[in-house]
Amino acid sequence: MAAVKAPAQTSTEPLLALQGVTKRFGSLLALSDASLDIMPGEVHCILGENGAGKSTLCNLIFGVHVPDQGAMRFEGRSYHPASPADALTSGIAMVHQHFSLVHDMTVVDNVILGQQRGFVNTRAWAQRLERLANDYGFALDPNAKIDDLSVGERQRVEIVKCLIREPRLFLLDEPTAVLLPDEIGALLDICRRVAENGCAVVLVTHKLAEIKKAADRVTVLRGGRVVARSDHPAEEIDALVRAMIQGDLKSLDKSAASMLGVANGGADRAREAVPAETPPQEAVQIDGLTVVDGQGVTRLDNFTLSIGPGEIVGVAGVEGNGQSELAAVISGMAKPSGGHVYLGNVETTDLNPKELTAVGIGVVPEDRHSVGCVLEMSVAENMFLNRLGDFTSFGFLRRRELTQAARALMTRFDVRAASPEVAFSALSGGNQQKAVLAREITLPKLSFLLAAQPTRGLDVGAVAAVYGHIRAACASGAAVLLISSELDELIAVADRIVVLYRGRIMGNCTAEPSERERIGAMMAGHAQ
Amino acid sequence: MTDAAVRASMTKSRRRMLRPSIVISVAAVLAAALVGLVLIFALGVSVSEAIAAFIDGTLGTPYAIAASVNRSIAFALVGIGFVIANRANLVNVGGEGQIAVGGIAATAVALYGHVDGLPAALSFVIPLLAAVLAGMLWGSIAGILKIKAGTNEVISTLLLSFIAVWLLYWCVQSPQLLRKPMTSSATLPESLEIPEAAKLPLLTGDYSFPVHIGLPVTIVIAIVAGIVLVKTVFGLQLRAVGFNPVAAGRAGISYARMVMVSLATAGALGGLAGGFMLLGEQYVLKDGFSSGYGFDGLVAGLLARGSVVGVIAAALLFGFLRSGGINMEMVAGVPTALVMVIQGLIVVTLAGAAFFMGRRA
Amino acid sequence: MTWELFAVFVGSSLRLAVPLLLAGTGELVSERAGVLNMSIEGMMLTGAFAAAVGAWATGSPVLGLLICVVAVFPVALLQAVLSNTLRANQIVTGIGINILVLGGTTLAYREIFGARSREQIPGLEKWSPPLLGDIPVFGQAVFQQVWLLYAGLAIIALTALVLRYSSIGIVIHAAGAEPRAVDKSGISVTWVRYLGVLFAGFMSALAGAFLSIGDIHTFTEGMTRGAGYLAIAAVIFGKWTLSGTVLACLLFGAATALQFQLPTLGVDVPNALLIMLPYLLALLAVGGLAGRQTAPRALGEPYLRR
Repeated sequence: MAAVKAPAQTSTEPLLALQGVTKRFGSLLALSDASLDIMPGEVHCILGENGAGKSTLCNLIFGVHVPDQGAMRFEGRSYHPASPADALTSGIAMVHQHFSLVHDMTVVDNVILGQQRGFVNTRAWAQRLERLANDYGFALDPNAKIDDLSVGERQRVEIVKCLIREPRLFLLDEPTAVLLPDEIGALLDICRRVAENGCAVVLVTHKLAEIKKAADRVTVLRGGRVVARSDHPAEEIDALVRAMIQGDLKSLDKSAASMLGVANGGADRAREAVPAETPPQEAVQIDGLTVVDGQGVTRLDNFTLSIGPGEIVGVAGVEGNGQSELAAVISGMAKPSGGHVYLGNVETTDLNPKELTAVGIGVVPEDRHSVGCVLEMSVAENMFLNRLGDFTSFGFLRRRELTQAARALMTRFDVRAASPEVAFSALSGGNQQKAVLAREITLPKLSFLLAAQPTRGLDVGAVAAVYGHIRAACASGAAVLLISSELDELIAVADRIVVLYRGRIMGNCTAEPSERERIGAMMAGHAQ
Repeated sequence: MTDAAVRASMTKSRRRMLRPSIVISVAAVLAAALVGLVLIFALGVSVSEAIAAFIDGTLGTPYAIAASVNRSIAFALVGIGFVIANRANLVNVGGEGQIAVGGIAATAVALYGHVDGLPAALSFVIPLLAAVLAGMLWGSIAGILKIKAGTNEVISTLLLSFIAVWLLYWCVQSPQLLRKPMTSSATLPESLEIPEAAKLPLLTGDYSFPVHIGLPVTIVIAIVAGIVLVKTVFGLQLRAVGFNPVAAGRAGISYARMVMVSLATAGALGGLAGGFMLLGEQYVLKDGFSSGYGFDGLVAGLLARGSVVGVIAAALLFGFLRSGGINMEMVAGVPTALVMVIQGLIVVTLAGAAFFMGRRA
Repeated sequence: MTWELFAVFVGSSLRLAVPLLLAGTGELVSERAGVLNMSIEGMMLTGAFAAAVGAWATGSPVLGLLICVVAVFPVALLQAVLSNTLRANQIVTGIGINILVLGGTTLAYREIFGARSREQIPGLEKWSPPLLGDIPVFGQAVFQQVWLLYAGLAIIALTALVLRYSSIGIVIHAAGAEPRAVDKSGISVTWVRYLGVLFAGFMSALAGAFLSIGDIHTFTEGMTRGAGYLAIAAVIFGKWTLSGTVLACLLFGAATALQFQLPTLGVDVPNALLIMLPYLLALLAVGGLAGRQTAPRALGEPYLRR
């Protein structure tokens, strides 16, 4: 589909021009000598894998951070916002990856925030909101409370918050990560319409399919630098990919390639067969698991699933459809309202995390910072936090042994850090995730591994490593439950896929690319 | 919030850790002392006279030194309790109440627990244990509320402190409780004096230097606490819970257990302080005997910035500060409230200074 | 119990609840904006002291009132700077300020009034609303109150309107629940929180003034006696809503009034237990009911733009 060009401008002056922009966070060089132009009325995609500096770039434009070096020009004038207030006044609006909506306020109040002073005419604003949403082709209930909205709906509130200010530049940071396959198309349409109305759209993504569909021009970032540009992205995809990952698609592991939203890309690595000497592991049986939250809403409804040893079962679905509750119950962080979980003959439903670890259940939680690790403690301490008993004599910690064991584990799992003694927070996201994985996979008799959103925010290399380790765990006979909202990754890695929608299993199927559409439909709530 | 930004903010905070923090603590104390001197001058009191009175009150006689040391014991115990609880990110503000209930229990058992007939040390050990138990109970109430209802322990320990102070008032006002029999209308509201056997032995046996055995006991407790916090698995688990209770829970560390143990311990130490005060120095339970001790201990805990050695140093400082302050009032006419002003300044300065050290107080 | 006694009880409850109502409303706004003010106690004491000294020095209680509002400003500003700009631990700073104020007011009081601990000070006038004050039996006992009570109620009502129907209300709500939303819509979170703390200071000063020149017409050292902490407990008990806070304060006021009421009924309960009652009640309140779920999510955490 040829990119539709915006109406020709009288001048070819860029709307926004960045020149040599550099940004450091402590010792980390997030963005280095970046220069790019955004033309009015275009859809401009910033392409790059996780950690390339895309979010930093947006935050600099939006005034969240201030560049260390370099200059920006907006609408021909020097532009140096000291805060988001400056960016907003200049006519720049942004939708972030992590929404900043007030959870217990209504949609309309969230939009009013910051827009006016004095006493508020809620009804007038509500009407304005509904009209605006209609203009861009979607529905919005102004009086709904944010708590009650789905992730996709919340994103639309964020979008409306921006559009109601009639910006001239509209930034979206990885907006499709939280959307259903269908919703992605709708979002890209909205971007199109916004651009047609004269407002430039900057879309940050790491998905090639979106580039193909929506981009007029593309800038590629890698390691904080601008490494490629394209005025005809749909025709130059291969070159863009090469620039993004500094390699060919085919050289990537299939699962890593899937992260880029390319089905069928990458090499197919055969799964190692379970060695004959391994004792048969237990099967996992989840039976009628139900979770009703404090407000009486059923978050997980009669979830039933069995996983055989050495099998990887994927749970597909957009965030917020019961995955968090499922993971919480299995990992012992929450009690279900009904149902059971069995590991072989042992019922694990009501066991606490300590007992679950003892029984051989490992969990890689979706939120590694709040649940997976204690950022302030050292790498060594984190990697054995659930097994400190192994290093205890008469209550005292055998620190040297702990450090040595950590060092060995770090080497085996390629966790890169200055030493096992540094704070866990000093590690990159990828290394942190590898460390958490290492901790869980090396549990003495690992029979069941639950990995929730294990590759979120990781770059291609780390993604490949993570799936490599998960496959290895499988190879030693563990049953693996993989929860992910990245459908392509699940198809590449899992054996079977079940789809969660509003807490219920919509259906299941084998993990084949041919099933993609069917799975997508189930993710949107169409039972099969 | 990107991973990068999180990392950057945290490495910054780890880098500037303990070494400069001692400097900040000392600087805060010196700055506050300076302000104190300025205030003394502003009050029209001769600064040299005030300082002389201060020194006399702290080091003038062996008795003065001993009194300061005894006071420091109470502050040190409350401070150690504060530090232990603070490892788990809990703030125990109820020191005064815990001392009060400890004192009540020690006096009650010493007077009416028939302890004078007991062999050897039991006559004072049993009342001390009662004090410890009372304090532990008081601290545990806050712990239970925290676990069951998520109640902010600052509010609960504070309210419990007020309740305990009024309990003390009731005990010494009511002849049915601990008030000594009223022989006339001028009989003071206080208890009888505890029997000789229940009084704590002095280190030197000499009443002109009345430092009691509470001193070595406290030193031992401090050493044990220091070792436990740094070298044991329990100490590590406490730290984990303090930093991130959810992740610690996922790693199998029981939040409830950590909260209960740390608040109960803090309470127990406060109770012990009360026991020492009654059985070692005062011998008579009076209204308001715990007044101000809780906050002094708390400030000592804050000044120490998590180090047990720091608590001892700060406790000694405040012990002597209080003695000096009392003498300054008697001799030079400088109200003891000045000492409180200095303490408040120290806390506020420390809290604000944490910003420049890259971490929160 | 006769109707007269009951009327007196209601009137006392109202009177004793006033400082809590004022301070509680101020603290509610501050906590909704995300700042936990443990220093309410100190700010009340500052207000009590400044109002007493001001009234005594100028001979006019109204001037004393104005002086106390001015006097609390630096204290509230200190708390605001420490909590927001320097991002210090809010609990530690609050307690530090309380210690500082307790020492400072005691020191200053001794200096100004010497050893006399109970100096008579000109007090605020009482007032009674036209019709209500004339109700037989109830009228005088219940409605004849220091005018500051009625002024305070008016401020509380105004606060309720602003919180619910104005843009400031939305901003305050957002600052405590999701400060990033406030930052990203171009408003300074720090500015909002400063406002919250200063408002809390203003209300606490009025509360303290009520204690010294409204109620007792004197100043005693540490006269707030934990009322500030009761106000904080009231906010928690009221689940961070204004109506809940007001009800909680009235309840605590009634509990305090029992101290004077029960003896007149011939009920013989030790005085100490009665004095203890409001604190016990507050403890039960925070321990039994509201909790972490309903607190504003960002309460107590200084905001840092990432």
